[in-house]
Amino acid sequence: MQAKLRDLLITNILAIVLGLVASGLMLLFLGKNPVNAYSVLITSVVRDGYTFADIFVKATPLMFTALAFAFTYKANLYNIGAQGQFYIGAVIAAAGSLLLQNILPGWLVLIITLLLTIVGGGLWGAFVGFVKARYNSNEFLVSMMSTYVALAVMNYSLRTFLMETKAEYPQTDALAESVWLPYMIPGTRLHIGFVLAVLACVGVWVLLYKTTLGYRIRAVGYNAGAAEMSGINSKKLYILAFFISGALAGVAGFTEVNGVQHMLVQGFNPDLGAAGIGIAILANGNPIGIIFAAILFGALKVGGTIMGQMSGIPSSIIELMQGFVMVFVILSYFVRTWLENNREKRKLQKAVAK
Amino acid sequence: MEAAFFELRGISKYFAKVIANKDVSFSIQRGEVLALLGENGAGKSTIMKILYGLYKADEGKLFKDGKEIKINSPKEAMELGISMIQQHFSLVPAHTVTENIILGNVHGIIEQKLLGGEIKRLAELYGFELNPNDYIRDLAVGVQQKVEILKALYQKTNLLIMDEPTAVLTPQEAENLMGFVRDFTAQGNSVIFITHKLKEVMSVADRIIVMRAGKVYGDIKRNETNELELSKLMIGRDLNWITKDDRQESLDQEVRLEIQHVTVQEKNGVPALKDISLTLHKGEILGIAGVSGNGQQELCEIVCGAILPTKGRVLLDGEDITERRIRARIDLGIGYVPADRSSDGMIMDMSIAENMLLKSSYDKKWQKRGFINKKKLNQYALQEIRDYSIKAPSPETIARGLSGGNQQKVVLAREVDNGEKVIIFDQPTRGLDLGAVNHIHQVILKERAKGKSVLLVSTELSEIFALSDRIAILYKGEIQGVFNSSELTTEKIGLLMAGFREGEVSNDAG
Repeated sequence: MQAKLRDLLITNILAIVLGLVASGLMLLFLGKNPVNAYSVLITSVVRDGYTFADIFVKATPLMFTALAFAFTYKANLYNIGAQGQFYIGAVIAAAGSLLLQNILPGWLVLIITLLLTIVGGGLWGAFVGFVKARYNSNEFLVSMMSTYVALAVMNYSLRTFLMETKAEYPQTDALAESVWLPYMIPGTRLHIGFVLAVLACVGVWVLLYKTTLGYRIRAVGYNAGAAEMSGINSKKLYILAFFISGALAGVAGFTEVNGVQHMLVQGFNPDLGAAGIGIAILANGNPIGIIFAAILFGALKVGGTIMGQMSGIPSSIIELMQGFVMVFVILSYFVRTWLENNREKRKLQKAVAK
Repeated sequence: MEAAFFELRGISKYFAKVIANKDVSFSIQRGEVLALLGENGAGKSTIMKILYGLYKADEGKLFKDGKEIKINSPKEAMELGISMIQQHFSLVPAHTVTENIILGNVHGIIEQKLLGGEIKRLAELYGFELNPNDYIRDLAVGVQQKVEILKALYQKTNLLIMDEPTAVLTPQEAENLMGFVRDFTAQGNSVIFITHKLKEVMSVADRIIVMRAGKVYGDIKRNETNELELSKLMIGRDLNWITKDDRQESLDQEVRLEIQHVTVQEKNGVPALKDISLTLHKGEILGIAGVSGNGQQELCEIVCGAILPTKGRVLLDGEDITERRIRARIDLGIGYVPADRSSDGMIMDMSIAENMLLKSSYDKKWQKRGFINKKKLNQYALQEIRDYSIKAPSPETIARGLSGGNQQKVVLAREVDNGEKVIIFDQPTRGLDLGAVNHIHQVILKERAKGKSVLLVSTELSEIFALSDRIAILYKGEIQGVFNSSELTTEKIGLLMAGFREGEVSNDAG
């Protein structure tokens, strides 16, 4: 057990280091000094409280979309449409807030809006599960394509009923300050959505590993045939799993609109869904691991932006870095298995020799 | 002395957590039938896979005709004249016999007619009835095996390795196979037979290598030994075999389960079950004999509720349960140990405790304030581990890490508790070693003694005979007849399994 934990830590750290080294090589091709670039990256994210807090601001929606992918992944389903569910959540959050902000007290609007995004994102996701259960359609394709429909829904509403009163840009009016998610640390953008995200991670972990519903979802994921034979209705669970998954991604829309943007802008945060998949894979689908993986990605994002501004390095190098880190983390899983097997084999050979 | 055809000297193979082979040495002569006897997990298949180039030995050497050889792949093995027929055939169902036989040995343009003729001649040489243009998917398992053999012969094999070749055959088909083995070796070729069936060994082998826990425990000529000695060598201890005298006559004649005129229509219109009627009493074991694939699975699934009959009714204690689905039937007390535990019976990536929960996750008894009552579940699993002597360190052990026998015991433990009234056992001991088989048989008899009704599906006739009070024979989805087990002989049941009706049988075999 000791050796296993040691392997886990060493291989993961090594994977991150190797990812940075590999992307450092790419920097060399650009004629930049990677050592300088990385020192900028590291010093920039800790240079002041505002920037440091922004890591967690960026990590918040990533946790939700990563959870969305990880949750269906546990049922052996692939929800590639977190981006679309996020947009639906964002549209509902903006519409709900704008509609209710002058009628009801702010805290009540926030609660109602949160619930609406859960239902909206959930139903958007559940549709994928429904067609999967009913017509055995490929959830991978349907969820992926549903993102484009969601994008179109957002564009349509931003051109019509949600369009700003000036009617100039495809965006909404700013939300009244009463319906902003409260800030946790003065002088930063860190809002309580971060706490909500961490709670969601813990909640999903509890749901998956401590309740019979989560147990059944995992059972269907591992072996749908055996689950069916045990009287578990896997089709019902497909729909439910996609509802929960969509709801999680939908909440990311709520935290982004009410917590960060305070309005809805056309096509904002276009890479949340994809990054979420990466984070979920990085964390091996573990909801608690997602917290840390999302923070790592948040740090890379914040640091990358600043690095781009300061040293003339394209900030897209950060995406490259994320990609390399992910590749090496996935490889590290196989290295660990190999190490483990070799260790057992040596132990055995030694025992036989005695 | 003439050098052996093939010789293995001091072969060892280590896998991550097990010693598969340790210092294994034996040889095979030309024209010899060698039986490799041992329980599952004794390392028989591994040592043969080393000879066939699928695995690389960690220690030891291989020799052919006294010269050292290296075999790094099956291709190199074939060049040396070694062929191996795996337990699970490696045929392409969508291809014809010819296409399968030439697979991997043909280049450029395929001359179907020429090759077909060649294969037909080869088949006739050994008395195989085969049409080279038939598709594999249309052929019975026994015929598919002949295709595998022909494939080896086509490659001019001198040493044929067969892994559990009779597991899928009827007694008659097995007899034919033995005939082939004798013909083949009479021409100076050699055969290695991997098996755990003592009867086969005694009927066909010249020499027997007994393996246990990865090592060779005996290298004996057939005519210098007997089944008792072999079984002791194989298991390492005496077994307490169940005989009919151990059982008591069933006392209760109360009807528990009734299957009335049940027909199951497959999607393609072919009936999987045709007008089946069976009655199962309390405290009775009803054996279902038959070659696999003759409707056994459908029969089990009708009873457990996984499929609904097209026609007919199912009654439990007089109540019509035809329309009840699996979950309702679990609650009614019907347990089911499926034939394929890895796909239908358990979740390999979950722990033993979690597997115990599989059928009763809706039951409030495992919940505490909405959460899984892990403590209670673990206690229960631990109790079952002890009761069934499952070899596992804790209830948290992942099922995949257990041996087949211990996995089966996990399913068995769960289903025996679930099945308060009826327990269906579909091939409960297939592929298990004798120790586990013995234990499972004891469990089945114990449940019968408690008054439970048991439906026992098995292709292993000895198992059917050892346990059943009555025996029904399934052939192509129809019941060939229901008999008291004392009325049947192996010959008679073999003919019934091959499709003969009772009237015809009594004339032929009496």
